[in-house]
Amino acid sequence: MKTLAFATVLPGRTVYLRDLLRELVIREMKLQYKSSLLGVAWSLLNPLLQLLIFTFLFRVVMPLGIENYPAFLFCGMLAWTWFQISLVQATNAITGHRELIRRPGFPAPMLPVITVTTNLINLLLALPLLLVFVLISGGELKWTALLLPFLMLLQFIFTLSLAYFLATVNVIFRDTQHIIGVVLQLMFFVTPVFYSGSRYPEKYQPILKLNPMLHIIGAYRDLLLYGKIPNLATLGVIAAFAVLFLFLSYKVFISMRDRFVEEL
Amino acid sequence: MNDAIVVENLGKRFRRLHTDRPGSFKEAVLRGFRNLRLQEEFWALRDVSFRVPPGKMVGIIGQNGAGKSTLLRLIGGVGQPNEGEISVNGRIGALLDLTTGFHPDLTGRENVFVSGVICGLTRREVSERMDEIIAFAELEKSIDNPIRTYSTGMQMRLGFSVAIHTDPEILLIDEVLAVGDMAFQQKCLARIQEFKARGCTILLISHDLSQAKQFCDEVIWLRAGQMVARGTPEVIVGEYVAELASETRRRTPASMPEVHTPDGTELRVNENRFGSMEMEITAVRLFDANGLPTREILSGQPLSVAIEFKTSRPIQHPIFSVSISCESGFICFDANTAEQNLKLPIIDQCGRIVLHFERLDLAGGKYFVDAGVYEKDWAYGYDYHWHAYPLEIRAPKSQGVLRPPQLWELSDLAKDMETVDGSLRPKLLEQLGAKL
Repeated sequence: MKTLAFATVLPGRTVYLRDLLRELVIREMKLQYKSSLLGVAWSLLNPLLQLLIFTFLFRVVMPLGIENYPAFLFCGMLAWTWFQISLVQATNAITGHRELIRRPGFPAPMLPVITVTTNLINLLLALPLLLVFVLISGGELKWTALLLPFLMLLQFIFTLSLAYFLATVNVIFRDTQHIIGVVLQLMFFVTPVFYSGSRYPEKYQPILKLNPMLHIIGAYRDLLLYGKIPNLATLGVIAAFAVLFLFLSYKVFISMRDRFVEEL
Repeated sequence: MNDAIVVENLGKRFRRLHTDRPGSFKEAVLRGFRNLRLQEEFWALRDVSFRVPPGKMVGIIGQNGAGKSTLLRLIGGVGQPNEGEISVNGRIGALLDLTTGFHPDLTGRENVFVSGVICGLTRREVSERMDEIIAFAELEKSIDNPIRTYSTGMQMRLGFSVAIHTDPEILLIDEVLAVGDMAFQQKCLARIQEFKARGCTILLISHDLSQAKQFCDEVIWLRAGQMVARGTPEVIVGEYVAELASETRRRTPASMPEVHTPDGTELRVNENRFGSMEMEITAVRLFDANGLPTREILSGQPLSVAIEFKTSRPIQHPIFSVSISCESGFICFDANTAEQNLKLPIIDQCGRIVLHFERLDLAGGKYFVDAGVYEKDWAYGYDYHWHAYPLEIRAPKSQGVLRPPQLWELSDLAKDMETVDGSLRPKLLEQLGAKL
C-alpha cells in the first residue's frame, strides 16, 4: 500500500531500532524512579520486602517445610514479578503512549518490547542479590546457572506474545487493564510462586499443570537451586506455543495498528 | 528528478464512534454484545492527489475539519490511508501537534534525547546537537526542568527546534507555529526559508493566509476532505477568501427587523449589514480625546471606536475587526483582534470592545468606520456593518489619504545642508523633533 523510503536515512533499520529500544528503556526506567527518593534501589527493596514477609509467613506462621525457603521464594518471586508487571504495563503500552504513537515514523510494535525489556532489566538488577541468597543459604551454584539466559529468552518470548495481545485488546476495551490486574493477582496464588507445585492435590494436577508459568518458575529453580537440567520436553512445547502465539498476536497487533491512532 | 511527496487518490475513512457502541467489556456484556459494529463512517479525505517536487514549499488551507491535519499525519506515516497511495522520499521532520513525543514528567533535555532518537538520529548525534537545539529554542534556563512546567509556547519552540535539527528532507508543520510569540514565529519562518533554499520540501498548514501567500510556492485548498483547488498562492488564497465572503452572505438571514444606528442610519440586511446574526453588533460609537461621542475629529487627534454587541448563545473566541474606508470604498485602515494574537474569551452576553487610536493621521475628508465580528477561524461573519458609521476628519483640504505630522523648512542649500551622503544633518532633525 504505502512505501516509506527509509533506506537513505540510516546505516540500517536495526541500528535505529536498537538505539530506539535503548533510549526508550532508559526513559521508562527514569520515569519509574522519577521523584522517588531511593530511585533504582526500589527494584531491590521491593522483592526484599516481599521476601521478608513471605518468609515470615511460610516459615514461622504456617511452615511449608521447604528447604532453603528464602532462595526458593526469591527465585519464584523474581520470575513471577517480571511476568506480572510486564503484562500489567504492556496492557497500557499503546493507550499510555499516545504521544509516541502519534509521532511520524514511530514503530508502534516496539512498545510492548520496551515494556518487557524494562522489567527484564529490573530483574537483572535483582539477580545478583538472588545469587548471593543462594550462596549464603548454603546452596551452591552449578554450571546449570549458565543456562539461565536461554530460560529468560523463553520467558521473554512467552511474555511478549501475551503483551502484544493485551496491548491490542486494551485499545478497544479499556477495562482490560483492570481485568488483567485481577486475573494476574489470582494467578499469583494458583502458580507455585511461594509454595511448591508438588503440594497440588493429585486430581487437580492435570489442570494446574497447564499453566506455563508453573514450568518456567520450576525451571528457574532447577537451574539455580538444584543444579539440574529442567524438563526440556515441557519447555520445548511451551517455546513452540510461545513462538506461535507471538506470531499470531503480532499479526493481530499489526492489523489493528491503524486503529490505534484513531482510537486514542 | 523524483518527487519528494507523491499522493495519489488518497482516501481516509474515519469511524465516528456511535454513542451506543460499548467502550468497555462491562457495557458489551450488559448489552449482550450487541451494537459492537454500530459505527458511522465518514471520509476525512477523498480523492486527493498531488505531487510535490523537492525544495518546494506548499501551503494547505481550508477550514477546520477540512482534513488538513489528517493529510499531514498520513504523509508523516501516522495512520494508514484506506484508499490510494502516499510515497515519501526522504527523512521526515515533523511538528504535527504539541504533545507528540514529549513526556510531561521528563526534563526538556531528556525529552530531546528521546525525540531525536525517534526521529532517526543516533544517541551521539543528539548529544552533539543538544546545545544547538537548546539555543535555537531559547530554553537554556529551563531545559533541565520537567516539560510539564513549560508553557505551550515553550513546548512548541522545543518541538520545532528538534524537528529542524534532525536533518529533515521533508518538513511537515501543522499550525503549531501560531502558538509562539511573533519574534519566534519570524525566526521559525526564516529557518524554514533556509531549509527550503537547501532543497528541503515543506508542507505547511496555515490559517494565516498572508503567510501562505508570502512564503509558499503553491497552495492546496481542502474543503470537507476534497481538494478544491491547487495552484499559485495568490489565486487560490483569493478564491478561498471569496468563498468565505460568500459563505457570510449565504448565512445572512433574509429578513431582519429594521434597525437604526444611534445616529439614524438605517441598517438593512444585505445592503450595509451582513452576517449570520448569531452575534449582533448593537452599536458602534465614536469618541474623541475627551471621551465624548463624536462624528468628527481633527486630523491627528485621538479616536476611540467602541463596538457594543450582544449574543443569545455562547460564542467561542470571536474575532472583531474595525476598518476605516473612504466613501469610494477604498480601505485606509484595517485591524482585527486575531492579528494582534488577542484571543477573546467565550462570549455569552452583551458587552463592548473598544479600539483606541492614539492619533489618527488621515487626510481630511469623509470616511466610514466599518465594524465586524467573525467566527473564530474567519469561516464566516456573525455581523458586519458596512458604511453605516460616518466619520469626518477635518484638516486642510488635500489629496491623498495620510496626513502624518509634518514640517516644511526652507533653507539655503549651501549653508544649511551638507550633502556629504545626501542625509540631513542631525541638528536639523533635532529641530524638527522639537517643533513637533
